Amino acid sequence: MNPEVCLTCEDVERFLGEDESRVHALRGVSLTLEAGTVHSVVGPSGCGKSTLLYILGLLDTPDAGCITIKSEAVLHLPDDQLARKRNELLGFIFQFHFLLEDFSAQENVMIPMRRLGKLPEKEMLDRAAMLLDAVGLESKRTRPSRHLSGGEQQRVAIARALANDPEVILADEPTGNLDTENSYRAFELLQRIVQDGGKALLLVTHNPQIAELCDWVHEMKDGVIVNTHARA
Amino acid sequence: MTPPLYIALRFLSHRKRAFLLSLAGVVFGVAIFICSQAQTQGFAQQFINSTLGSNGSVVLRARFQPLGTGLLVPPKSSSAKANAMHRRYLEGITNAREIMRVSRQFSNVAACSPVLRGTLSARAGFENATVDLYGIDAPLHVQTTDLTKQLIDGSFDDFRDNATSVIVGSKLAEVLNLVAGDSVQLLSPGGDYWRFTVAAIARSGVGPVDAGRIYCHAKVAQTLLRKPFPASMIIYKLRDPERAPALAKHFEALFQHDTQSWQEREVGNLQLFLTLRMSAAITVSLIILLAGFGIYNVLTMSVLSKVKEIAILRSMGYRRADISAIFLWQGAMIAAVGSLLGCTAGALLTWGVSHIPIRVRGLIVTDHFLVAWDWRHYFWATLLAIIAVFIASYVPARRAAQLPPVSTLRGSSV
Repeated sequence: MNPEVCLTCEDVERFLGEDESRVHALRGVSLTLEAGTVHSVVGPSGCGKSTLLYILGLLDTPDAGCITIKSEAVLHLPDDQLARKRNELLGFIFQFHFLLEDFSAQENVMIPMRRLGKLPEKEMLDRAAMLLDAVGLESKRTRPSRHLSGGEQQRVAIARALANDPEVILADEPTGNLDTENSYRAFELLQRIVQDGGKALLLVTHNPQIAELCDWVHEMKDGVIVNTHARA
Repeated sequence: MTPPLYIALRFLSHRKRAFLLSLAGVVFGVAIFICSQAQTQGFAQQFINSTLGSNGSVVLRARFQPLGTGLLVPPKSSSAKANAMHRRYLEGITNAREIMRVSRQFSNVAACSPVLRGTLSARAGFENATVDLYGIDAPLHVQTTDLTKQLIDGSFDDFRDNATSVIVGSKLAEVLNLVAGDSVQLLSPGGDYWRFTVAAIARSGVGPVDAGRIYCHAKVAQTLLRKPFPASMIIYKLRDPERAPALAKHFEALFQHDTQSWQEREVGNLQLFLTLRMSAAITVSLIILLAGFGIYNVLTMSVLSKVKEIAILRSMGYRRADISAIFLWQGAMIAAVGSLLGCTAGALLTWGVSHIPIRVRGLIVTDHFLVAWDWRHYFWATLLAIIAVFIASYVPARRAAQLPPVSTLRGSSV
């Protein structure tokens, strides 16, 4: 049986900058993310990894190509509906956590849930508590996120990305700001969630050890995926 | 609670100083607006009440007859002034009782009273003054005016029971050194002095009335002034004084007597008060406008400092409208709390000002600041604050909504 396809992109092109500084950041990139798989994108700085991630996350629009989420083409959708797709189907994890510093860990996790608006306050609190428990922060739920360590903040970011039970998790160097031990812990956590929950994870990383632990590794160079290989 | 409102509340609670600064501007503007309007309207209202209490809402005067204009066709929209040029006026009202009987049929007429008016000289001791004599029918006049409430010395009963008694205006009494019980002499047109007893002193609060008026009984006035008619005017008290102009116009056409509403009579003074109110409103609106600039700055700074948070929210599925709403809600909360506190402060300030002693003896007479308690002042102040804050919030909110999240997410490093 073929695994369910969560997200695909075909022949994605993206130009960045204007006039003389115009750069061809993505040159016909195609990718397919199936449920329950972990993909990594590796390559040198400036090769287009983050650009690809923001386009797949519907935060940026490609100049050409097609993106489908759950078999639905999405690029023609208006901005409000793209926002809704981001809220319902996608979860973002950034390198620098990007938590709302004045909000507690619990409140940060609840932000996507509030926008979705499907759960009452009590259930949102319960779900946030459950997710924070899952990332090992049960004792620090009410602590303002700026008072958490780097590793703890990244775990809050992971819990937040999972808040609305997304189909696809997009992570931009999620371990780039962590020490080795915390990097592996964070990756293992994500890997477990993806495999247990039947989600797809696309990970941009500079860390070759982390990349090699993924199901699929996509090597990028100058805006092109030059090589794709499965885990050895 | 909507997500934007929740986030707006949290953002505000973490920028307390900026929030309080914005709030202070709105509170100050709203409070000053209310207080200044209460004062200017208070003085105007006192003047209106005083003049209505002394001179009535409508005054019907001399009879007129249209002058023949031969073959001249009158213009369709002829003005009152043009009409007056084609009239012949006849002094006095000969059928005052009949006019009053008909007038009372009108629902807006609460009471009416005939007055025989004339100008003559008064003498008391070594002092002389020109006085405005009002010959009144005491029972009717009391129903039509506030004369009994205006007495500051003596008694109205003494006046009513004694045909040779008078009531003297307070400022005139000061000039003639009169108190209740004194006597005053009035010089008749025939050249002989008539002696009257001062039954009471009246203070109406209207400068010209207090400075020149003497009330006596109508029959005595008719003899003293040697008039063939019992009344030279009829004054009306109306249930709704605001409708006086329409009634005056109707009476003029109906009775063929020159008729004037209080608005027409006091047009100069009313315009003066209106100008003062407008001037105060414009000045205070500028304060609210300045508060609006303050809020604009605070929210613009807030947008600039929350660029990262805006990008994060966008990445989590918040729409442009949600981002915009976060900043509009902040403005709305400043406006709501500011208006509420401003209205409270305005009421307290107005109460405080109303207790400040001030001695005014001119167009109106008062011993303390006059204020008007009117819900419309609070409504307009709140509306002005809401408009100013909305305009001040709209631009930063719009700017926040347009921020592209990708450039922020790419460029940020905590």
